[in-house]
Amino acid sequence: MPTIKKVPSRFPNEICEIEVQRDISKCINCGTCAKLCPFGVHERKTGYNRVSKPLSYLCIGTSCEDKSFYCVNHCPRGALSLGVSSEYRTIGDYRWTRDLIIGTWKQAETGIPLKGQRYEIGDSGGGFDSISFNFQDNEGRGENGNEDLAHTSGAISTEIDLNKREGKKISIKVPFYGGGMSFGSISLSVMLAKAKAARAWGTFTCTGEGGYPEALKEYDDNVITQVATGLFGVMEDTIQRVKIVEFKYAQGAKPGLGGHLLGDKVTVEVARMREAIEGSSLFSPFPFHSVYSVEDHKKHLDWIKELNPDAIVSVKVSTPTDVDMVAVGSYYAGANIIHLDGSYGGTGAAPDIAKKNIAMPIEYAIPKVHEFLKQEGIRDTMTIIASGGIRTAHDALKAIALGADGVVIGTVELVALGCVRCGNCESGRGCPRGIASTDPELSKAIDLEWGAQRLINLYAAWRSEIVEVLKRFGMKSIKELVGRYDCLIENHEITQD
Amino acid sequence: MPRKYSIEVIPTPPRHTPIGKFEIERGADCINCGRCAIVCIYEVHKRQEEDLRSMAEPVEYRCKGCFSCIQECPRATLTIREGTDYSRLGDSYWTPEIINTNWYQAETGKIPVSGAGYRGPFSGEGFDSMWTDMSEIVRPTRDGIHGREYISTVVEIGRKLPAIKFDSHGEIVSHIPPTLNVPLPIIFDTLPFGAAKHFDPTFLKFDENVYGAMAKAASDLGTFMIVNAGDGFKSEGHRGQSSHIIPHISDLTSHSFDADWIKACKMVELEYEEDVLSVVNEVKTLNPGSIISVRVPFGDNVEGIVEELTYAGIEVIHLYVDRNGKAVNQTRKKRLLIKDMTQKVHGHLVDLKIRDDVTLIVSGGIAMAEHVAKAIICGADLTAIDLPLLFALECRYCKDCQEDLACPVELKDVNPEWGAQRIINLIGAWRNQLIEILGAMGLREVRRLRGEVGRAIFLEDIEKDTFDKVFARRVSYDAND
Repeated sequence: MPTIKKVPSRFPNEICEIEVQRDISKCINCGTCAKLCPFGVHERKTGYNRVSKPLSYLCIGTSCEDKSFYCVNHCPRGALSLGVSSEYRTIGDYRWTRDLIIGTWKQAETGIPLKGQRYEIGDSGGGFDSISFNFQDNEGRGENGNEDLAHTSGAISTEIDLNKREGKKISIKVPFYGGGMSFGSISLSVMLAKAKAARAWGTFTCTGEGGYPEALKEYDDNVITQVATGLFGVMEDTIQRVKIVEFKYAQGAKPGLGGHLLGDKVTVEVARMREAIEGSSLFSPFPFHSVYSVEDHKKHLDWIKELNPDAIVSVKVSTPTDVDMVAVGSYYAGANIIHLDGSYGGTGAAPDIAKKNIAMPIEYAIPKVHEFLKQEGIRDTMTIIASGGIRTAHDALKAIALGADGVVIGTVELVALGCVRCGNCESGRGCPRGIASTDPELSKAIDLEWGAQRLINLYAAWRSEIVEVLKRFGMKSIKELVGRYDCLIENHEITQD
Repeated sequence: MPRKYSIEVIPTPPRHTPIGKFEIERGADCINCGRCAIVCIYEVHKRQEEDLRSMAEPVEYRCKGCFSCIQECPRATLTIREGTDYSRLGDSYWTPEIINTNWYQAETGKIPVSGAGYRGPFSGEGFDSMWTDMSEIVRPTRDGIHGREYISTVVEIGRKLPAIKFDSHGEIVSHIPPTLNVPLPIIFDTLPFGAAKHFDPTFLKFDENVYGAMAKAASDLGTFMIVNAGDGFKSEGHRGQSSHIIPHISDLTSHSFDADWIKACKMVELEYEEDVLSVVNEVKTLNPGSIISVRVPFGDNVEGIVEELTYAGIEVIHLYVDRNGKAVNQTRKKRLLIKDMTQKVHGHLVDLKIRDDVTLIVSGGIAMAEHVAKAIICGADLTAIDLPLLFALECRYCKDCQEDLACPVELKDVNPEWGAQRIINLIGAWRNQLIEILGAMGLREVRRLRGEVGRAIFLEDIEKDTFDKVFARRVSYDAND
């Protein structure tokens, strides 16, 4: 198992819930607080007369109120107080609440899962946010939960098979892999950080539709290359190099619309990779202009298998009403994985109208496809992968209990790297935080090693959480959870008026 | 193939400083190091022009909430919060986001595009409880708004014959009712406020400028605008635009309308009441070529009224709800929403096999482009919009004007040319979004979207299909309807 190392935020001021306020007019710089606080919130640097500004994000809040080191009570001048920070109140939205964002940062920093509902579900009022686990053990999650786990968790498997048909067997050690994000929509160091974390955890990452950068070569065994409708950067060599090829028909955030990389983001490198011209907008059309039927679809899959007989093929589709039929069609065309991308999924740029309105949320699509494949008698030979709004390990587990084999994650990886979900990935120079940007200056912000370790930590935290939930269900493997509706309950029961 | 209809959008900046989403405060212990100005890529932070040693006040409306300056400040002296004025905009239906996004579209003429996934609630009331469908693989090639293939948004207003009869000489014997071609399924409705209530010079100015902007936009776009026939909007200047104006006669008894004006218009709208049919005849006598629309509130017995009017030969029915998309005239405790009522009326007419005898215009609470598409899916032929037109002119929906207070953006002083372009931009952006929706479904014309409930996903249906089973519900999701 990969090593977890503590990786703090790259910013001097991390956004956090609690703000420690020091009233300068009262403080006499006696340094009592600096001596007391075991977490390093207060500090008086050697040679300085003044106590530094409090590092609020290290503060554990009022939970140390009754301890001898509670700074607020022990300040001789009563100059210290705790409040809720203004940043905390401002960040987040219904789907990605402030606690989900900050919680993901903390997990990426420490590799340890966070306890409490606010770190498990969002505030959207439906889907995953209205579903809980139906634990029968009544044990609650005590402080010793993780220690108990240490004794038994070794025996619990989180491995899933990606190919259930004939051909080469491919499995991943954790039931999730990284979603497609193209070079151009994200920076090279982010791409490499994702690949490095995937290799460390024995899983995959995906190139998205934007070519296969040379630097990614050393991660070939952990890379999925995408063939999407614009065919950008698709070459025989890139298909032959990998174990999994992903056919992208549509993306959940913009189903039926295709992609559009704005000219601003088509830098020299991006243009070279995509065999296009610098500064010109690139359209990835919709749909595949050569696929009008399942037979045409099969032709494409045959083409891949001809080029690379060992490769397994994933078909990524969004979630229209007939998504179940599409899944069956993909099976008969020879696909190994049906990857359902729900309508509330992430994107580098999409019309707001599409994100909100087109196609159904993933929570409905999973059981719909799962049931239909069962009826057709092909559920055991097809792997269902779900994505589009998987924010936490709990979402992943719920998706699996609804009928998926595993999930694909995207946004959460970027949040782990410091994304605040401001939604400006597409405008001007791209991401102001240097994550989803190929701007020469901005993209320097993310260091490869730092990023890779943040993702390794995040994966570790997710895995621990998954193992803990499986243990509470008395399961030995994540595979036992697939389609176990009885493990889920609704937070609000539907009642008759 | 008809000439491709397109809307020319021209960036048209607002007259007033926009209301920013965020407020940024620079604390007293700022050391003027300028780090914020380096990390901000939106030019919120700058040095003072007159004294480069100090930082200027942040230009808040440019802030996009990336938190970079907050997190990078070496003194941690910057704070960010949601803008007070922004969060107070509008109300719970006309949310700050809706108002803001309409402003953006009126300024730029562009579809709102952003990165990262959807941020809102899972679902909600009315239109928020449905999703539109898409077609994954099997269908002809198309590329949406960037497309090579033309997606038509034309709708016809008027009665449509199921078939045309010919005599033995091949001459048409059917009487073909007049129809109006509108290049997009959006017309302008009467404004809910701000219009002339009395002949006060301020209001006359409002009429001239705001209605002037609307009339010019309607004329340029080739669409129509409904105006209260009893109001001050009769000035000679707008007579010229009669071909794009639909006078709305609300006072049927006193017959206060201007007969000459009615004669010049292609369509006239009458408020529904018991003896509306006699006034219909009167108008038809004045102007036999005109199309008559009857404006009926969505509410109790609306299906009955629509049925009766359709059988009586009314060609167009304009169904309206209140500003927030709820029934106007209903005794039920839980008032029905525009989405459900449109489906009911449409379904009723389909059952009677008279759906194409009448055009249904639906209005009230149409706040975003998605509402146009969804109202049409539910069975409307087209929609009429009101408040978004005012938003295009920078209205903040503060409702001060309703209390006779001064308008913070001085709507009455709008330059009609400027205003018309802002409205054109807004409609251009809305139309492109409609095309995106149609394109995703593989439809090539908006007329085929009408009543296509099979091309939509309704919350109650999908809950029933999937989660009823998953959660072994004893009571089905839609049992309480």
